[in-house]
Amino acid sequence: MFDKIISGGKLEKKVIENIKSHIQIFCSSAQCFKNAIEKGDRESTFCVAELEREADSVKREITSTIYEGAFLPFIRPNICRFIEIVDDALGRLKDAAFEFRYLNPELYKIIFPECVKIAIINTNMCDLLYIAFESLLTKRNDLREKNLAIRVYEKEVDDIKVDILEKIRKVEIKNFWEGEIISNFIENITEVSDLIEYASDYLYIIEISLR
Amino acid sequence: MTTKVKEIMNTKLETIKPEATVYDAIEKLVDKRMRSMIVLPKDDKDVYGVITVRDIVFKVISQNLNPHKIKVEEIASKPVISIDKETELGHLIKLMEKFNIARVFVHEGRQIIGVVSLLDVMSATLIERARRV
Repeated sequence: MFDKIISGGKLEKKVIENIKSHIQIFCSSAQCFKNAIEKGDRESTFCVAELEREADSVKREITSTIYEGAFLPFIRPNICRFIEIVDDALGRLKDAAFEFRYLNPELYKIIFPECVKIAIINTNMCDLLYIAFESLLTKRNDLREKNLAIRVYEKEVDDIKVDILEKIRKVEIKNFWEGEIISNFIENITEVSDLIEYASDYLYIIEISLR
Repeated sequence: MTTKVKEIMNTKLETIKPEATVYDAIEKLVDKRMRSMIVLPKDDKDVYGVITVRDIVFKVISQNLNPHKIKVEEIASKPVISIDKETELGHLIKLMEKFNIARVFVHEGRQIIGVVSLLDVMSATLIERARRV
């Protein structure tokens, strides 16, 4: 699909390769976060922040290449917005990893299975976003299926969030910071899937604008 | 279809004691917005059962019986149809089609650990298709 606007342009190819690498970093970060919270290993969560910094520099390169003249002007804002959304999702993951290091273990124990489920779904959604981006480059009309699968996953996360809130509301919070940290943690891990869905919707918008 | 049942099952299960009244079951089903519930075994020799909204409507309400006076065990289906958590999706679909059922419970050993519905099967199939590059 992108072929008709790339037309062999070096800058465009560079942007596409960088977007792929940006999404791959996001996938690695989601995988690393999942492994850390599955094991309850606080130290392992630092990889998320490291990968986020790496993704930041890739994002800057993408933006500057676009403004050097890659792609037709009408499509540039949509590509930039797509990158921004993926970057926001990475930011949320980084914040969740930060909060995880300060979580009260007793509180975390209550919602542990649900949090791991969400982390697994987030990882699967990242992989699907990468596949969706690749299908934007190659196959016509294939993106709709990827987009739908991402929406199915997102709905699942919404349901799990309700279960988490039902459980955690029954617990008496005696310390302000314990409550604040667990609330932020839940908000961040559940927001990642929303942002992936949003990013996938943007890919769909890009595809439609190219028809 | 290589996806296994354990990957898509819903582990949120509600249970009820066999001696509870149908009214108790109705209350629980409405509160939790569920369509079926596992009926616990009476003792070690007993097996799991299931009570569904369908059982309640056709065996109690439509018969003008008082749900306060009927016990869950009187209308529950036993034994519950369940499959092993390692079962593949293709086999599950065949089973659902053969018995014309919308939900199948999942067991691990003798323990019921989850439930899979037609909607779960449809979602899993969509995801499996989408993951194909």
